[in-house]
Amino acid sequence: MEREIALQLKGISKYFGEVVANKDVDLTLYKGEILAVLGENGSGKTTLMNMIAGIYFPDEGQIFVDGEEAVIRSPQDAFRHGIGMIHQHFKLVDVFTAAQNVVLGVREKGRYRLKEVNEKVAAIAGKYGFRIDPEKKIYEMSVSEKQTVEIVKVLYRGADILILDEPTAVLTPQETEQLFDVLRRMRDDGKSIIIITHKLNEVMEISDRVAVLRKGEYVGAVDTSETDENQLTEMMVGKKISLNIERTEPKNPCDRLIVGHLDCRDREGVKKLDDVSFTARAGEILGIAGIAGSGQRELLEAVAGLQHLEGGTITYIDPESGEEVNLRDKTPMQIRELGVRLSFVPEDRLGMGLVGNMDIVDNMMLRSYGKGKSIFLDRKDPKKLAENIIESLEVVTPGLHTPVRRLSGGNVQKVLVGREIASTPTVLMAAYPVRGLDINSSYTIYNLLTKQKENGVAVIFVGEDLDVLIELCDRILVIGSGRVAGIVDGRTAKKEEIGLLMTRSAEPVPADGGAEEAVGEAESAEEMPAEDVGTETAGKDTEDKGGADE
Amino acid sequence: MNNELTKERSVREPLFHIEKQDGLASWKAWLIRGGAVLFALVVSGIVSAILIKANPFEFFAMIFDGNFGGTLRIQILLRDTALLLGVSIAIVPAFRMRFWNLGANGQVLIGCLATTACMFYMHGKVPQGLMYVCMILASVVAGAVWAVLPAIFKAFFKTNESLFTLMMNYIAQGLVVYFLNIWAKDNPTGQLDPIWDGMFPQLGNQYVLPILVVAVLTALMFVYLQFSKQGYEISVVGESENTARYVGINVKKVIIRTMIISGVVCGIMGLLLSGFINGNVSRDMVDNRGFTAILVAWMSKFNPLVMIGVSFFVVFMDRGVIQAGRHFGVTNDAYADIITGIIFFFVIGCEFFIGYRLRRNKQKKEEGKK
Amino acid sequence: MKKFATVALSAVLAATGLAGLTACSDRTYTIGLICLHGDSSTYDKNFIDAMREACENLGVSDQLTIVTDIPEGNECYEAARDLVDQGCQVIFADSFGHEQYMLKAAREFPDVEFCHATGTQAHTSEVANYHNAFASIYEGRYLAGVAAGMKLLEMHEAGELEDNNYTDTSKTTIKMGYVGAFPYAEVISGYTSFFLGAQSVLQENELDVTMEVSYTSSWYDIDAERDTAIALINRGAALISQHADSMGAPSACEDKGVPNVSYNGSTATDCPNTYIISSRVNWVPYFEYMIRQTLDNAEIDTDWCGGLGTGSEYTDTTGSVVLTELGSAAAEGTEAKLNEVRAKLQKGELEVFDTSKFTVKGEHITSYLADVDDAGDYVGETEAINAEGIFEESKYRSAPYFNIIIDGITEYGVAE
Repeated sequence: MEREIALQLKGISKYFGEVVANKDVDLTLYKGEILAVLGENGSGKTTLMNMIAGIYFPDEGQIFVDGEEAVIRSPQDAFRHGIGMIHQHFKLVDVFTAAQNVVLGVREKGRYRLKEVNEKVAAIAGKYGFRIDPEKKIYEMSVSEKQTVEIVKVLYRGADILILDEPTAVLTPQETEQLFDVLRRMRDDGKSIIIITHKLNEVMEISDRVAVLRKGEYVGAVDTSETDENQLTEMMVGKKISLNIERTEPKNPCDRLIVGHLDCRDREGVKKLDDVSFTARAGEILGIAGIAGSGQRELLEAVAGLQHLEGGTITYIDPESGEEVNLRDKTPMQIRELGVRLSFVPEDRLGMGLVGNMDIVDNMMLRSYGKGKSIFLDRKDPKKLAENIIESLEVVTPGLHTPVRRLSGGNVQKVLVGREIASTPTVLMAAYPVRGLDINSSYTIYNLLTKQKENGVAVIFVGEDLDVLIELCDRILVIGSGRVAGIVDGRTAKKEEIGLLMTRSAEPVPADGGAEEAVGEAESAEEMPAEDVGTETAGKDTEDKGGADE
Repeated sequence: MNNELTKERSVREPLFHIEKQDGLASWKAWLIRGGAVLFALVVSGIVSAILIKANPFEFFAMIFDGNFGGTLRIQILLRDTALLLGVSIAIVPAFRMRFWNLGANGQVLIGCLATTACMFYMHGKVPQGLMYVCMILASVVAGAVWAVLPAIFKAFFKTNESLFTLMMNYIAQGLVVYFLNIWAKDNPTGQLDPIWDGMFPQLGNQYVLPILVVAVLTALMFVYLQFSKQGYEISVVGESENTARYVGINVKKVIIRTMIISGVVCGIMGLLLSGFINGNVSRDMVDNRGFTAILVAWMSKFNPLVMIGVSFFVVFMDRGVIQAGRHFGVTNDAYADIITGIIFFFVIGCEFFIGYRLRRNKQKKEEGKK
Repeated sequence: MKKFATVALSAVLAATGLAGLTACSDRTYTIGLICLHGDSSTYDKNFIDAMREACENLGVSDQLTIVTDIPEGNECYEAARDLVDQGCQVIFADSFGHEQYMLKAAREFPDVEFCHATGTQAHTSEVANYHNAFASIYEGRYLAGVAAGMKLLEMHEAGELEDNNYTDTSKTTIKMGYVGAFPYAEVISGYTSFFLGAQSVLQENELDVTMEVSYTSSWYDIDAERDTAIALINRGAALISQHADSMGAPSACEDKGVPNVSYNGSTATDCPNTYIISSRVNWVPYFEYMIRQTLDNAEIDTDWCGGLGTGSEYTDTTGSVVLTELGSAAAEGTEAKLNEVRAKLQKGELEVFDTSKFTVKGEHITSYLADVDDAGDYVGETEAINAEGIFEESKYRSAPYFNIIIDGITEYGVAE
């Protein structure tokens, strides 16, 4: 195959202190292709791309653009070589219009004529099929519109090589489709595109070739048409692993937590929970599925006593006495004093569940430091607990007294989950507990949750990967725009059906049956029409609301 | 775009690059800090040689002489260290909570004012012991009130504590001037004569007691922050209010309680200044220690034990440089400020080399390998 | 190896420490000067320069040490003790507020002489080694007032004065302004003599003058002094003088184009268009006296008050009270007038505080109890007016005690 090389990396290495981010990476990008760079979290994908885009400078190795060696010290250098990167976190000025953001930092002679810029932006948009209003302010835009501005910004500067870092993470399935159409059109126009992702199905859908990184090293590249998801997984992880979760049958499930008609609003007065009702049973895992920002966080925080409610009831049923305990409008401290053993693994690990600058021991006592009458802290028990967790969960840490922020994501999560489990809870809530974790750590967490379930704990699991939810959970509650869209049986549910429930309820369409009828138990879900909408709806890992808030 | 030009510009690659380094061995970090102090001294020696034609060796000797030349100087060095340390100790719980208390100056000063008020109105009229008790209570309460006001506003109305505490400094100064106008109405310089007999008794000499009081405060504060449940709560609130909420800590309560403690210690420092050392109050009595303490707190990474060393260093350099200036007949106030500025530039600047390191880029030996 | 390192390190530390200690022991001082500020303050610079000159004249420059920036608090006491530690036999402090602390140190170290400018307590404290010193600066102020009167007269005759510069429609009484620090005898005595000097010139020419005084409540506050001067100018002051240590008032005058009579030194370089003259205390004679007495183991006067020098020119610097060169803004004939008045003062033909020349609340006073003995009660106990009707300023102690507000002078902005 005679293909022209657009960009070539040879022997690129990058170190951060003792940490090896990239080691001796070779990579080739041809003109007019979409190359997917695949790898687990922490495998060095973003670092590698940042070196091409001029954010970092490689410690070793060479970069060739169009066959000539290029030294890229800054994003300006990168642009001179026709390289542009769309970062995961947008770099836009909120109070500027799209066009103003596009010309920001462009060094052109003469005065800026905003009219000309607007026309040029419109021309680029027309060429590739973007929808963009050059005069709209950024703060008025949805996430996908902002992404469009970022892409146009790069194209405006004449980039021929585009790098997109996890571009679908923030998009709804429909928006993802639109983006992929645009990318294909750009490819057909002769542009070279690198897309960073860790989602296999997207790789299969959009890319021409796949390059795989593992632990900072280059594993190899394959043509997409000649590979499958299993082979790619093996390349990513380095060994064959079975991606099966053992789901045991619930043992005599009984109601543990009954939530009825919850209503709440955020500070701006936007409704976050709207008449949410469900029951969590002991010995079961209740999954919660939904587009990010549909009220999952508020729901868990409401149960944990962190969210002010406008209406509704939260009732806990004591496993020993069978007494009903009202948890509404109680602080976490009061809930604990009532003898309710409620554990909560929040979404924001280092910002909420743990204190990043404290060591493991001090983090262990975060929930229990107040025990006892002494005014002084007891560090003996937490120390034992920390040692236990490090040993049993195989936490990799230089020591007991290393600040947890220095641990890797997986180890941080083990510390957090370990602590929450250690208090022998009767209810365990976990929000996105595997986000950012490598595959092995993820399965450790799944197994821990299953074990808790077997011990008779009522587990509530908020997840983003529908495949996992279906494999792990006994029942799945689908939430959309703060409303319960349906509760389906994990053993019989289809991904498509859940996806449909998620997106349907997310759209503020006047109720014409559909989603509304779906509210109910698993039986009704089976009759849902399995339309082919957004085969993959998981993975909206962003704090921003999805694109559905227009 | 302009390819001809750019290529030429970008072909040279940077010689060094900056790299973040986490967890440098502490002895290495202290070696760097020590090196920075030495380097700062050398530079200030050179600057002094240029500015005041000082012999650099004599300059260094004078820095030591200003601090260790005689019992009195050692006493003053220790006492001033204690005073600065005490104010630093006072602000550290708030700073650990990420409550930027810039009002320690005012909190100490109001303590001075309260102490002096007791002496002015009660001396000779009530038993001395009763007056002492009143002085202690008044200073502590005054400091606490001055500190808790911004805390209440921060906790309930989310006001900016930096501006609020800063403003309270000026109100405290204004109050001092106001009361001096009443108490020392006929005194030409607007200052109150020291009430020598109203002061606390001395232990041997006037330096011992203040130093002891601060030593005890430091130990207590260290234990409080490191080993008490309340100290732990302060750290959690400081690191993340969200975590505090998650744990169930009442953030408002912690903010207010911590600032009361801050204010109480400031009040005690005011008591020392007025009741143990000066016997009166004046507008500038605190000598901006409330601001210097911020520097000390940051340089010590909010650790009360490290603060002992840092306060000592700050006072040592200050007094040393002043003595060097006197020795060389400098009567210009700016000289000491320049030298102190140089020293702090290096000492604070060296933290960059502890958090980051410069690395020489490896040369590419094999041109175009493959 | 580790042990070796420890030993080596301790050796280095010890050597450095020793170097420090030996360096301090190889030099002792005899004369110490304690200043409130450094030489950026005109007030302190006046003392620093004089002390250096005096020591040079006596050939003891290497025995002088100067400490600056000493607040009026316990720091002064500690500075004095430190100077004693360094061998000083005579210590001089330049600010009024230092007095308490100098006295405390004097009691503690009876073998060392402690001298203090502008203080009031030496004659009552019964501490033999504590001394006050000052000068009959009111004579200098009077002469400066004469120069001010000449200027006003010239401006009046040239028709340069505006309507609001007069108090009356017939345009016979001109307004002046005075920026004072505190309502305290040293300041009151100063501006009263200044006023009397100006009035004497105008009254000879069938005119009169009034003066508004405003206080800043600080000896050194550039902004306050500037603002106060501008306020006085806006209220119609045709000329400004001041008794405060910053350049605030003179520079305000220069900006507004209003003539200024300065204090403590010439401001001709910064204010070339408005500077007329300045009076100041020349401390060289006292410092020479103080050092000589100390070195000779002779008594120093408890209260020492310097006066005008013996020379006949107004610029003569042999005395403690001196005037600076006239500025270009001064009126014609001022020099001759100054020399003439100076001669009368020297011969005693003219007394500044002659009660026949001023009235208080419309009457000539014949008796006044001044608060000479500063016992903290602020109650007068000493009859200051003699049989000839002269208020004897600086006779019973060196620091001024004339604190009467005479007719023609109003305090502006003082509540009471």
